[in-house]
Amino acid sequence: MIFEQIFNMVNVGIVILDRDLNVRQWNRWMETHSKISGNEIIGKSIFHFFPSLDAPWFKRNCKSVLAFGNFSFLSQKLHKYCFPLKPVNTFGIKFDHMQQNCTMGPLRDQTNVVEYIFLMVHDVTEVAAYEQKLIEMNIKDALTGVYNRRYFESRIEEEFERHKRYKRSFSIIMQDIDYFKKINDTYGHQAGDFILKSFSTSVMSRIRAVDIFARYGGEEFCCMLPETELVSALSVAEDIRKRIEHTTFEFKNTPLNITISQGVSEMKPDTSCAESLLKKADDALYEAKRSGRNRVLNK
Amino acid sequence: MVKVILIVDDSPIARKMLKNSIIKYKEFDIIEAVNGQDGVDKYTANKPDLTFMDLTMPVMNGYEALQKIKEIDKDSLVIVLTADIQPKSLASVMALGAFTVIKKPAKPESIQTIIEKAELKLKAMRG
Amino acid sequence: MEPNLNDIFSSDEKDILQEIMNIAFGNATADLAQVIDIYVVLSVPNIKVIDIGDLPHYIKQNIPSSENTSILQQKFWGEFRGSGILVFPQTSGKDIAGILDDQFSDDGFTLHRQKTEILLEIGNILIGACVGKVSELLGTFVTYSPPHLIVDDSEGHNNLINSFEENQTAIVMKTIFEFENKNINGFLMILTDNESIDWLRHALQNFMESYE
Repeated sequence: MIFEQIFNMVNVGIVILDRDLNVRQWNRWMETHSKISGNEIIGKSIFHFFPSLDAPWFKRNCKSVLAFGNFSFLSQKLHKYCFPLKPVNTFGIKFDHMQQNCTMGPLRDQTNVVEYIFLMVHDVTEVAAYEQKLIEMNIKDALTGVYNRRYFESRIEEEFERHKRYKRSFSIIMQDIDYFKKINDTYGHQAGDFILKSFSTSVMSRIRAVDIFARYGGEEFCCMLPETELVSALSVAEDIRKRIEHTTFEFKNTPLNITISQGVSEMKPDTSCAESLLKKADDALYEAKRSGRNRVLNK
Repeated sequence: MVKVILIVDDSPIARKMLKNSIIKYKEFDIIEAVNGQDGVDKYTANKPDLTFMDLTMPVMNGYEALQKIKEIDKDSLVIVLTADIQPKSLASVMALGAFTVIKKPAKPESIQTIIEKAELKLKAMRG
Repeated sequence: MEPNLNDIFSSDEKDILQEIMNIAFGNATADLAQVIDIYVVLSVPNIKVIDIGDLPHYIKQNIPSSENTSILQQKFWGEFRGSGILVFPQTSGKDIAGILDDQFSDDGFTLHRQKTEILLEIGNILIGACVGKVSELLGTFVTYSPPHLIVDDSEGHNNLINSFEENQTAIVMKTIFEFENKNINGFLMILTDNESIDWLRHALQNFMESYE
């Protein structure tokens, strides 16, 4: 039958499994992307070639197809992929595996009894990459690439809730680049942007992966340190202060030196809300500015 | 020999389905009860040779009715019909002394098989 | 005037439909225990007829607190056609994830999205189980569209209503489900389209004939 060619012509992976989850059909798309030929896999258990499918979620969905004639929609959002395949176009794509939406459904015999499971595999890597980019745009500052204020505020709320439940301490550092306006006025906005980026990179290299560092607005930055008491937070801030003070940033052959002022506050049992914690750090930062800049104070 | 059969089910359709399946096999005196309590009363009054019992019923459910019937006559043969057949419910029904459990919807053939089995059992018991 | 089940079905047909529902939902309970390793208690289904326009009101009536409810809809197609609707009271993501014994990363950001996806997967299985068993008993089979979440606000309700034909009456088969030991419950409805009512009447008679 000429029409049967469709099975191998479509740009979709098609797999047919029997009730014991042995492979009965394996189309050309699957052969191409898995590098496993139909001859090799047909008649054998799918788990033999793809042990990662030997998991509750996959078996549950197979069972629901067999028991109810159900259709299952295995979304990329939850499962990332069913089959660990290489992405087709690696250009600009950060995923290790092809991202997939998979659909499962029943194939019935003449008496309507479900005899086989079909699986269709759709490559959605590009859509997923695009979506990831949108998410990043939504939570990150375009200039510096660090988190934006909105994301920071949502995370500090979460951390505040966690503190209420588990009594874990955490601290925040508010940072402001001293005399930033002067850099802009003297060397231009490009130089100012360069400083913001360089400063961000420098802080990022000092803090831990669990810490949340964000551009709060203008030349003001904020850092949340989970599981960190005031003493440790102060020493991190002092470390950053020294580091920045002793670094010469070079912008188009012009050496630039900056200092920063910082205010630190720690979450206490009597802190009423996340906002008041921020306010305390901000007050401390104001004090640091007022008493001469290039220093760390706490409240 | 099985002569009198009691059907306990609140659904008139379920009773009709079962009755038709039984009649297809052989003629019996069939008595119907509409809930567990009615079932126990009709059991006491008619002493059927075989009882078909639904589980989910108003007034008195099948579990309780089964228990009561077994108290009245520990040798009574009660066949439980249920759509929700799984190890857990199966075990509890068997522990109460059910003769066997059949999954709903019951095919006429499986009803006939079960009546044959019950007849053999009765023969063995009554000698 | 309130539509009435008696206008659509004879009393015999009504009884057959009720018994088919009892059997189907009982079978579904048993098989669900195999599929998701959790005992799901499904109540004896209740059948009634409503105007589609009254659906949001009907949903509201049936949930204790109407705040933050997740409503999920999945269409099914075939001789028997309509929608499965699942109403979940809002529970924490962890409870929902706990129904499925999968490992999910909790990095805060993706958890919310995953919760939605888990809801959709559970809904897909529950609706599929009930609709699948009913179809099986009626001697047919159906295909499904992917389930989607309906936002529980007036716009979401409008979208739900608009997904049906105007002035349609629907047969609603409702069951309350509860995941044993998980303290998660909700209700599930199967709504049939106008078009399948004639077919349904026919299928009910066929079902009964096989026992005559």
